[in-house]
Amino acid sequence: MSTSPAVQPAETATQNAALTLACLPALTTEALDATLSNLRRAFPDQPILVATPDAAPPSTANVSVIAYTPSATSQSSWVPTAADYLNAFTLAREHKPRAILLLGPDCGSVAPETLRRLAAGVLDDHDLVLPRYPVGPHDALFNSAILYPLTRALFSHHVRFPLPIDAALSARMAERLATGAQRLTANGQGDALVWPVAEASVAAYTVRDVAGEPRTLPAPNAGDLNFLLANVAGSLFADIESKAAFWQRARLITTPARISACATHSTHHDANPLDLAPMIESFRNAYTNLRELWSLVLPPNSLLALKKLSIAPAESFRMPDALWARTVYDFLLAYRLRTINRGHLLGALTPLYLAWVASHLHLVDGDPATAEQHIEATAAAFEADKPYIVARWRWPDRFNP
Amino acid sequence: MGQQIELALRQSMHRVVPMLVSFLPGLLAFLLAVVILAVIGVVLAIAIRKILTVMRFDERLAARQTPGVLTNVSEWSPSSSPTLLLSRVVLWLCVLAGIAIGLSAFNASFSDNGRVSLFFLPYVTHIVGATLLVIAGTLLARFLARSVLIGAVNAQLQYARFLSLGIKWLVLVLTAAMALEHLGIGGGVVELAFGILFGGIVLTLALAIGLGSRDLVSRSIEKTIEKPSALNPNVASTPETAQPPLRHF
Repeated sequence: MSTSPAVQPAETATQNAALTLACLPALTTEALDATLSNLRRAFPDQPILVATPDAAPPSTANVSVIAYTPSATSQSSWVPTAADYLNAFTLAREHKPRAILLLGPDCGSVAPETLRRLAAGVLDDHDLVLPRYPVGPHDALFNSAILYPLTRALFSHHVRFPLPIDAALSARMAERLATGAQRLTANGQGDALVWPVAEASVAAYTVRDVAGEPRTLPAPNAGDLNFLLANVAGSLFADIESKAAFWQRARLITTPARISACATHSTHHDANPLDLAPMIESFRNAYTNLRELWSLVLPPNSLLALKKLSIAPAESFRMPDALWARTVYDFLLAYRLRTINRGHLLGALTPLYLAWVASHLHLVDGDPATAEQHIEATAAAFEADKPYIVARWRWPDRFNP
Repeated sequence: MGQQIELALRQSMHRVVPMLVSFLPGLLAFLLAVVILAVIGVVLAIAIRKILTVMRFDERLAARQTPGVLTNVSEWSPSSSPTLLLSRVVLWLCVLAGIAIGLSAFNASFSDNGRVSLFFLPYVTHIVGATLLVIAGTLLARFLARSVLIGAVNAQLQYARFLSLGIKWLVLVLTAAMALEHLGIGGGVVELAFGILFGGIVLTLALAIGLGSRDLVSRSIEKTIEKPSALNPNVASTPETAQPPLRHF
């Protein structure tokens, strides 16, 4: 399980003194040069060790570059996976840095300021520091609909992107994540997603998200939304299920001090509205065909609300936040109880998610500030409805109108 | 005339009553074997469940395995409990052993009466086989119907329910034909009826797909020219549409 660093003797002194280790994914020569240049600018006075699976370019005064052979490989092209977390820990164990920067695909576009903030967060004794990149009102919709609200409600952390592209880890955080990742890679699941915020919550480690400068957001390989949604939502649901003993305990939710100060959305207003008719039509078609299937998962109240939504005109198409929160919780519960086949369950969630997207985009109308407010309102609805999922998780057979 | 009828009935009764007398002990032996083994199975299942619960078997197994992986026993155990799975396996093994012992006892009681035994025993096994076929076929039909329904809805096909029903009845008709053939009922009539029904359903589905998939094909062509679609996770805008890009991930 060890990596094979090819280090020149002259660089050993720099490596021993390095506070920060940057683990890079496989990059093109241009992207690697850009990343190294940004790292140099981010840490001009601080020794830094950079590990790359590619051929290592020559080191400079404070940036020492080593090539390593990954102990586990991943085919994912958009976020770090179990294999990446395991490789990062293996490298950290060998070089013992204080902060580990795990950079995702297209990391050549990560600004020096972002790199500095990430590393500084860990050096300030935080265990997990995640960047909050500015996104447009039409970006990261799945994160806004499910990943962020669920993580915030169940794990009490206001981390805006719980499935990070880049992350900064302390040594003990890297070790904790690698323990879970090792099980996955041993089972041939090197591409499995890892949920560092949930893991940090369970371990009572400190988590912080910092504002990031704009970066190229890598796109997933698979072009099919159904597959991606099932993959990501299934992974999150499985992680939540495995940590049920933790999140069922009542705990105070930490109030974010930064929401208004650092808006996550970019200030760019999209003047051209999206054509939402196909998404709304898709939901109506799904309501006609999947009503019986949904009735196995959702309570009558939710089904009635969905019926009203399906007959609502496109101009007033609006899915209430409480309905969306309740729907996701019921799907989470059905995932746990295996009410229907899990593949079918996640497939049946897709049209409901598209309905939320249509409702969100209709409400937002290209305005970043409104988008931010709505995402926060959605997350607040998940928090408000948390007692419901806790109660139904414990007593799933109790009467539920 | 009356005497002749009476004689015929009496002779008939003399033939049937000994047959019933020899049949009932076999049936009772069969039922007794099944009941006793089932009771033993229940007792064993309860004991195993209690022992494994005390040993925290589920928790220990979960700690060694990864959630979400197919090889994980918890993933396909009832209520995610391998303990429950093991206890149920033991119970049903006992019931199956009871049926086997009962059938053997039933067979032994007919050793002196070959005609009934030869006809009845193979038929019992055929009924069991046909029942298993029907159960498996029904489960498969429901699974495939749901898979097709969800896949078609997510592909935004208007006739998703029709496709799903077609697949369901295709599998059910196939199952029914296999079960009837297994039982030896109908012979050529079943084969002929199955051929007609199966062919009819396939033709109907082919026509439906052929006529109805125009939307799908046009959407596929639209995708290739990068027109925004709700089902593409990273949709790019084109100068013609001038719509903002939509990113789900």
